[in-house]
Amino acid sequence: MLELLMPLRSLFEWLDAFPSSIAIRESQYVYPGLLTSHVVALCWFGGLILMMDLRLLGVGNMQTPFSQLQRRLFPYQMVGMIFSAITGLALVYAQPMRFYVNIFFWVKMVMMALAGLNALAFHYLTYNSVSRWDRDPILPPAARLAGALGLALWVGVVVSGRLIAYNWFQ
Amino acid sequence: MLSYFEWLNNLPVSTAIRESVWMSPLVNVAHLAALVMFIGAVLIVDLKLVGNDEDTPVDAIARGAEPWLLVGFFLLFLTGVPQLISNALREYYSIFFWFKMVVMVVALIFTFTIRRRVTLAPEGQFSAGARKLVGALSILLWGSVAIPARLIGLFT
Repeated sequence: MLELLMPLRSLFEWLDAFPSSIAIRESQYVYPGLLTSHVVALCWFGGLILMMDLRLLGVGNMQTPFSQLQRRLFPYQMVGMIFSAITGLALVYAQPMRFYVNIFFWVKMVMMALAGLNALAFHYLTYNSVSRWDRDPILPPAARLAGALGLALWVGVVVSGRLIAYNWFQ
Repeated sequence: MLSYFEWLNNLPVSTAIRESVWMSPLVNVAHLAALVMFIGAVLIVDLKLVGNDEDTPVDAIARGAEPWLLVGFFLLFLTGVPQLISNALREYYSIFFWFKMVVMVVALIFTFTIRRRVTLAPEGQFSAGARKLVGALSILLWGSVAIPARLIGLFT
């Protein structure tokens, strides 16, 4: 598995040697501050994504037509995503070699990419026909599938992200 | 109080959790997943209160979110207790733990009294300003529970 990542090793090592990377790594407060901000941002982002996925699955927030929910939550989801991404990138920047050797980090990255593809496919394909199913209690299979995949993948991202703290397989 | 925390810390179940390789991680992961659900159910209503745009009425959104709010909090409690008892002494000596507990009690009371009343009220009963204030307070309170919670484990 790790052989696949060999081309990235030099990039991570290059980052690892940056003076500012070392400074964050060694600071007593910046790293914990980033970690805490990342948790807040991911709760914001993940929570709002979850609320939308529950609606897609037909098990939650059924009082709201889907397009209204989407329109209202989307800007806030993007804010959450941007803050999660900034704090997440800073965490990786501060300890590149710790993440490089951690299998949970790579599982998280793959799941995040898949979740992104799922969101794009939903947005550009399934969502086009929203006017036809907006108020339905049971949404078309493609919408339910997008909800189920989104739920499973984002839960996977959160779980594997949290497990990075445990370096069982090194 | 200290003797009570010592007693919790020395319970056989606390020791078992501490000595197990996978129990603490499992509980930590489940607690975070439950937190995401809970915060989602809080925010979907609070952002509507703060943003106050015209579509679905607040009470409909609050009714839709309430089961997830309750399930989320129940799961947080269920996964929080094992963390507390297995680290009872660490928690006892952590200022962040006590801060979290105090704010959590305030946030819970606020959520199930004032916030519940305002969100479930028919449209027009409370002014836009009052609703914005309740939404902002709720975000502030629950944020002040989550932030020190993460800090307990980082500064011991």
